[in-house]
Amino acid sequence: MNLFRSEEHARRWEAFRPESEEGFISLPDLAGLFGTESRRHMLHADYLSRWYPKRAAERREYLERIGKASPFWLGTPNPSA
Amino acid sequence: MDHDEVDQTMTDRMWNHITRTLVDTGRPPHYAELAGALGVTPAESRALLHAVLQVYPIGWVHPDTDYIASFPPLNGLPTQYRITVRGEQKWFAQCGFEATSATWLFPGERVRIDVACLDCGEPLTVEMLDGRLTWIDPPTVTGHLNYGFGPSRGRTPYL
Repeated sequence: MNLFRSEEHARRWEAFRPESEEGFISLPDLAGLFGTESRRHMLHADYLSRWYPKRAAERREYLERIGKASPFWLGTPNPSA
Repeated sequence: MDHDEVDQTMTDRMWNHITRTLVDTGRPPHYAELAGALGVTPAESRALLHAVLQVYPIGWVHPDTDYIASFPPLNGLPTQYRITVRGEQKWFAQCGFEATSATWLFPGERVRIDVACLDCGEPLTVEMLDGRLTWIDPPTVTGHLNYGFGPSRGRTPYL
């Protein structure tokens, strides 16, 4: 999960996996994905028990909203694998 | 101490202490340092640490040790994701994605992320304030997930 100067830089990276071509995400989308409601409570005393468990559902909902509902992004088994 | 035997309030308290120590000092605490603050013995604190990591598996200790290496969004081990707040660079983010979440640990502060590009080594910079992107240089900066999330993940350092 890296940041690159551009998509071209990512593709030139020696460890770039061709299967990860769908793994690009714009910075605004990334800031949204890592800025869902639960993330805003990381300094709260009950974060681990109350807020962290909400993350997976938030992430899924956000990824679906930005059109990244593939197994690659959702972490679900790939039906073609 | 088995995870099922651990009081949820205590795991909350440990998570909070680790995160706040990272925010305050830029480094993760050792479990023995946390024992006093939590009112437990060092051995109980060690068990609590591992109970926390069972619930929060995106953090991890260095292999074969009890040293906290990574506790996202911040990291104990240096990474290429340097975080600067109030002109002071003493934090590292776990990865490029978690770096964009560090802003929530510093409310009301400009959080600057300086990165050496893995391709060319040249710098890129992202600045955020309370979750908003306030500066991106160059404007073409992108996030990239090399392995999928979840079971398809590759080895952790290469995510």
